[in-house]
Amino acid sequence: MSEKKTYTRQDVMNKVKSLASDFWNGKPHEERRLGDLYVDKTGLYKHREWRGFRDTMYYFNMIWLYNYGHMVGDIMKYGGGLKGPILFAKGVWRYRWLGQSYLPVMHWFDRGLEGMRGEGLRASAWHYRAMVSETIRQFMRMLQADQNLGGDPEIWKKTLAHDETVWGGIFYPWRDRIDDVPLQMIPYFVTCHVNNHVVLNYIDAAQSIGLPGDPCPMCQAEAGIFILDDVPDYFPAVVTSNEACDGSVGTSVLQDWMMNKPLFAMPQPMQFDDPLVQEHCAREIEECWKFIEEQTGETFSWDELVKHLERQNELQRFEWEKWEVAANTDYYPINGVSQALYRIYQSQDGDRDIWHETDERVRKILEKCVENKINSYPLTRHRVIAWSCAPLYYSHWCTWAYNCWGLNCIINMDSLMFDMTIRTDTYENTLQDMALYHEWAPMRRMAVGGMHHIFELWEYMEKFHCDMVMMYDQLQCKGMQGVHGLFEDEFRARNIHAIWMPHALPDKRTVSRSEIRSIVNDYMTTIMHEEPLDPTLLEFDDSEGW
Amino acid sequence: MRALLKTLKILFFLCTGLYIILFIVFFFDLDGKALFYGVEPFLSNHYDRMKRKDPLEKIYRTDTPNYEYND
Amino acid sequence: MKDLKHLIRMENLLQQANNELVQEAKEEGRKALGYTCYFMPEVLLDLPGCFSVRLRAPNCTTPVMATYYMSGRTCHYGRSLMERALEGGFNFLDAQMATETCTVTCRFQEHLQRMDIIQNPDFFVEFMDVPFKKTENSLLHYRKQLQAHVLDKLHEKFGIDTSDEALMKAIQQHNEVCRLITEIGSYRKLDIPTITGYEFAVIQLTTLTCPKDKILPMLRETAEELKTRKPDAKPTWKVKLALAGAENDDPDFTKLIESCGAIVVADRYCYGSLPGREEIVVQEGETPLEAIARHYLITSCCPRFMPQDIMRARKKYLADVCREYNADGLIVESNKFCEYWSYERTIDALVIPRDFDIPTCSIEKEYINSASGQLRTRFQAFVESVELKKLHKEPAAKEEPTLKEMVESRIEEKVEQIEDHIDDRLVKVENKISDIEEKRQGVKGVIEEKVEQIEDHIGDQLVKVETAISDFEEKRQEVKETIKKKGQRKTRSER
Repeated sequence: MSEKKTYTRQDVMNKVKSLASDFWNGKPHEERRLGDLYVDKTGLYKHREWRGFRDTMYYFNMIWLYNYGHMVGDIMKYGGGLKGPILFAKGVWRYRWLGQSYLPVMHWFDRGLEGMRGEGLRASAWHYRAMVSETIRQFMRMLQADQNLGGDPEIWKKTLAHDETVWGGIFYPWRDRIDDVPLQMIPYFVTCHVNNHVVLNYIDAAQSIGLPGDPCPMCQAEAGIFILDDVPDYFPAVVTSNEACDGSVGTSVLQDWMMNKPLFAMPQPMQFDDPLVQEHCAREIEECWKFIEEQTGETFSWDELVKHLERQNELQRFEWEKWEVAANTDYYPINGVSQALYRIYQSQDGDRDIWHETDERVRKILEKCVENKINSYPLTRHRVIAWSCAPLYYSHWCTWAYNCWGLNCIINMDSLMFDMTIRTDTYENTLQDMALYHEWAPMRRMAVGGMHHIFELWEYMEKFHCDMVMMYDQLQCKGMQGVHGLFEDEFRARNIHAIWMPHALPDKRTVSRSEIRSIVNDYMTTIMHEEPLDPTLLEFDDSEGW
Repeated sequence: MRALLKTLKILFFLCTGLYIILFIVFFFDLDGKALFYGVEPFLSNHYDRMKRKDPLEKIYRTDTPNYEYND
Repeated sequence: MKDLKHLIRMENLLQQANNELVQEAKEEGRKALGYTCYFMPEVLLDLPGCFSVRLRAPNCTTPVMATYYMSGRTCHYGRSLMERALEGGFNFLDAQMATETCTVTCRFQEHLQRMDIIQNPDFFVEFMDVPFKKTENSLLHYRKQLQAHVLDKLHEKFGIDTSDEALMKAIQQHNEVCRLITEIGSYRKLDIPTITGYEFAVIQLTTLTCPKDKILPMLRETAEELKTRKPDAKPTWKVKLALAGAENDDPDFTKLIESCGAIVVADRYCYGSLPGREEIVVQEGETPLEAIARHYLITSCCPRFMPQDIMRARKKYLADVCREYNADGLIVESNKFCEYWSYERTIDALVIPRDFDIPTCSIEKEYINSASGQLRTRFQAFVESVELKKLHKEPAAKEEPTLKEMVESRIEEKVEQIEDHIDDRLVKVENKISDIEEKRQGVKGVIEEKVEQIEDHIGDQLVKVETAISDFEEKRQEVKETIKKKGQRKTRSER
């Protein structure tokens, strides 16, 4: 016989209070059941999360509406007014990477900011906003100059292309007259994060001409964009580098064939600790500057160089402040994915207005968090450092890992690549520092020039007070695969909890997001013997999601 | 004055209505659903069928200059 | 062909890195210096008091321990070297002179540096930086690196004399090896080569893996022997091929190609002689080290070089090698997981046949090719296709005809064929007519003869009939007379 449940007045009052609290503050972390919000397979939401009144309205007004609005506004701002939307529409119609990845941008925000509240939500969202704005600026410049779309030949003459791994700072001396736009940053790198369906076309195209499947898929995808004729013709000359691996060198041969334009190779030396190397690299930079002068007819400007370097130093100094807070307090508001993507984008791109505007906003939030001791990640169980190169189709794993397991990714390897300001007192000092910065390219500083660099992990673990490592295992990265066993040995010897996260950079077909989650789940249950904070996030199918 | 007030009132209701509609679109992820089920398949189909140049047909010239600057 | 005198010994020398000549040199107190890449100039490691050994891991098919350290997704060559090191196969080394020129061999050498693998207390690993270009800046950088990380280190650690005189001596010895290898290799250019690709690969490899002074006597004798070596009366191969590509220190790979009806006449791969066995020329006003740095940077055709003109010139170099060695086709190989050559091979396979009209076969291989069945099938198919193309080409090695010329020649050909056909038919018809005439004449003769015979016969019969008639007439007359006579007697009697 079933017992009839009776409700007291107190029960009803409690329920009403709880509902009111949920409405105003959002549900407590353990009761959110975020996994129930997903539409199966798609990664879409049945409805977006109710984060409490204030945060939901903030998300709706200051993230969703604000960014959609700015996505239109920026197109006009960087596309020459009302001509901008027309040019953009032509670009969407012509280039797959633009059409398929621009529209789902707000879902990229959703994935990275899931479950977040308060200052953490605000600070992280500003990072996302900056990346969107800079992306629009770059592709609008490409489209304005693009001869495939009948772009302006004068703008074409004043736009230079370079490998995404050539630091934008190399072009500072001409920033007032010439713009530099990386070849692959938008068509490949940004695309992978926003909509991982797009890049698969490029990888398949590369393999369709006989390239084996085992080289780095990033390089394959970058080659595939050219093979599929999906690169705007926006530049008269190009600067390339050997960055980040042997595969990139191979890709540059293919790209050269298909671009068939004046090309200056500016490879970074490998053994960058060797003082003899700096002189060689500095001369390479000078030769590159002569190439730019020759190709554009514009002269080198020392004042422009110094101006932008000093502004870049400001960005670096603020990054150090951020590291300081992240390392020594619980009040760092920026989540793992925002930290990683913003930092790699900004440090590689160099000085741009949007980074300064964003840093100003984030500085206020950061100071508020420190002063008021606001912990944006109160259920942190482990402070995690992510090492090696991340899965581009699942860079937001950090958000999931915090929501599901309380794994808070404090810092990652790519953020730590550039750890220097550049002197501007004399030409020689500037050149010497620029050479070193150029050599410390992304995915590279820890990967080449001797194994001791990759094992800097232990020092950073200590510095950032991390107790766990998320060890990215890029299955097609020869450099990292080649040091796999030694890491295993070291983790055992140092008794460090490390989760190996296999992936294939942009290609979700090799290891899916779901498999990655399953590996983390297994480790957390069988090794750490922990219970999930939100069990609905343990298993769900987002295989067809962006 | 009354006409102005009336216009403002209409504007207010229009804006409020639009705001509510947008909130519904936001909350129920209607933007995502429209893009996922409608726009992306359409665009993807378009890109798949698009005629493209074959870059492999480009001549592989071996007489390019040497960009070296020693002065 | 007659066997080369030293071939079997040389084959045996390649069975292990620490071979008998290496052991001899070590017993003499010389230092063994390992290296893996062409960018580490062997001539500097062959200074008096030391000798170079370009590392190999022969017969290493399953690098199990190395796979733990370097995973199964890295180049088999790098892992095999690591396995051999872990097995103790490189304990004879006194130093590893390392370059960060390709990722996995770099990782292997870093393991040697970090782990206590080489059981030799004095062992050390020294890395140098290698530029990606051939400019003056790169040349200067390369020379400084060689000075700091090779010569100074050898002097500091082993007291090796690195003076210009010592370098000149090393260059002289090195050049003699190059001269002999070039001479031996030149027999591959003959219409019917008097040395096989396999034999040459064995000889070339011994010069990389044995102390130069120890291998030189064998080289000299081999060069002499080849001067008078006669080719087989009937060649065993159908086509000549050039072999290009990534690291390849396995002569059996060449042998496999040659067992499919080809002869390998050029070796443009890491550990091959093209480039690699050109003499070092010290120009006037140049120090020996400058000459060495220039030589190695300029001669290298590594896909690691990134300047536009150099990237593109590599394709032409490959085509030139094929032409110089009269190769009918080209095989471009790359080791699985080798990123440089994955791209280079793919592009070669697209550009070389199209722009240089050289049939090209693109092959991905392992370090040791245990799965030779699949490769054999590929090579056999390629050899057949090249042979067919060669047969088609043979009548006229002229330029490709235009479409109009092709149509005209085809029409001419057809007209000739039709005329020939009509002529043939005419001759046949004439023959038929003459046959019929002959037969007619024959029949006529027979008929006439027969008529004559019949006439004769009739004549004879007539004569016979006439004779018979006359006989009968005579008889009738006789009977008549008899009857008359008898009638007269009766009447007389009646009366």
